[in-house]
Amino acid sequence: MAGFRDRTAIAGVGYTRFSRNSGVSTLTLACEAIMAALEDAGLSADDVDGLATHRVGDSAAPSVVGPALGIHEPVWHLDQFGGGSVSHAVIGQAALAVAAGVAETVVCYRAINARSEFRMGGTGRGLPVSPEVQYQAPYGYVAPPQQYAMFARAHMSKYGTKEEHFGQLAVRQRASAVKNPRALMRTPITLDDYLAGRWIAEPFRLLDCCLETDGACALVVTTAERAAGLRRTPVLISAAAWGGGDSFLSGGNPDVTVTAAAEMAPRLYRQAGVGPAEIDVAEIYDCFTYSVVVQLEDYGFCAKGEGGPYAASGEGVPVNTHGGFLSEGYVHGINHVAEAVSQLRGDAGDRQVDGAEVALSTAQPGYILPATSALILRKG
Amino acid sequence: MSAEAIRPVTDRDSAPWWERTARHEFAVQECETCGTLRFPARAYCHRCRTPRWRWRQIEPVGRIESWIVSHQPFLPGAREPYVVVRVRLAEALECVVYGNWRGDGPPEDGQLVRGSFTAVDEALSLVDWGPAG
Ligand SMILES: [Zn+2]
Repeated sequence: MAGFRDRTAIAGVGYTRFSRNSGVSTLTLACEAIMAALEDAGLSADDVDGLATHRVGDSAAPSVVGPALGIHEPVWHLDQFGGGSVSHAVIGQAALAVAAGVAETVVCYRAINARSEFRMGGTGRGLPVSPEVQYQAPYGYVAPPQQYAMFARAHMSKYGTKEEHFGQLAVRQRASAVKNPRALMRTPITLDDYLAGRWIAEPFRLLDCCLETDGACALVVTTAERAAGLRRTPVLISAAAWGGGDSFLSGGNPDVTVTAAAEMAPRLYRQAGVGPAEIDVAEIYDCFTYSVVVQLEDYGFCAKGEGGPYAASGEGVPVNTHGGFLSEGYVHGINHVAEAVSQLRGDAGDRQVDGAEVALSTAQPGYILPATSALILRKG
Repeated sequence: MSAEAIRPVTDRDSAPWWERTARHEFAVQECETCGTLRFPARAYCHRCRTPRWRWRQIEPVGRIESWIVSHQPFLPGAREPYVVVRVRLAEALECVVYGNWRGDGPPEDGQLVRGSFTAVDEALSLVDWGPAG
């Protein structure tokens, strides 16, 4: 994959406001974020020849967003089914299309009304169409916080991970969000606040769980050459990787405390030519606190079983500098990539990690939907 | 759980398994080629990739791999917190099932457990779990 490394770049980032009720359609959110990303890059919709997103039946498709913005003849498009497992895969696939010369300028977006219209695992939608649901829903096991709590408990039983570890991580991510003007949750919290939170699904309390957010984010992916001539510091896509995950179908990985990221991370690092020690900032998929804990282990920042104390300590790699899903907002993964871009450009304001040159950003590590993906980005 | 159970939406692979469960038979599939036990129901063996199989009744016995206490009313009508367990089957170690907990105290990691059938109606039974023996 040396032929892929650093050949493409993220040249622009755009957001809508994050809220609990956008009051508009996901199509409107998508258009707003895309136009903001193009303006950031110094491009127009006429420069766009590809569109990519992922959805779970909850958002505007590229086949609608394209015509809505007058992009009538895209040369490449991707309408990926899936949630947080594929958030980074979408950007990786756009980079592949650009690196292959199939498209030159692709906009990747995710637009959701995840609070006001389509709550994950909650009201406003039917149960997901997946063969394992029939074996779980009759027992009241239907929602991501329950599923992640199940995996977190296994980690706690095996390694002695404590709820206080989860709590300290939530406290630290909130402290980052306080410095982030985009963030929805900007009031500092303490460990006592965390412990006083109501139970959602033991061992998870309220503050273990991500926000539910209305909003959109978009990224412009183009060739490294083209990005070099645009108005913003390019952020090079050094590596993109795809992996499997934990399946309810018998025959897979029998240890749910090890995610697919453990198998994928070496491939990702090899593509980028770096290791965990070279990662200056890590924007890690945090649908729940435990998701960060297990990925810190599986991406090699600490030994297996030490993710709890590592995450709680605040030492080591800076994690979720924007506040993550727990405190910035939930845009299903793309906002983690956008924050990594900001850190590498050096425009992250009060939350800037000094001298950030290389960033890791990860998708859902393969629980629930057996797929994962991640990116390594480098300052151009 | 005090809520009404969500009825399983069965498919062409799973319907015979649910019919057996309604008769209070606990079964997994056994590959006729290599003997691997598998669950949930599907046509091909993940190990030898052949499609010949038979049902194999096994003891509904396993060990607690994890559990949660669900407080948020994700089910319409659920008024009390309820426990969901993840059980690895003793006779089919590759196979995992979920169910509700029917023990007095909370489950424990690694605890030996036995399944029991809860009849919802003639066409549907669920499998719940409690301490073995
Ligand atoms: Zn076989």
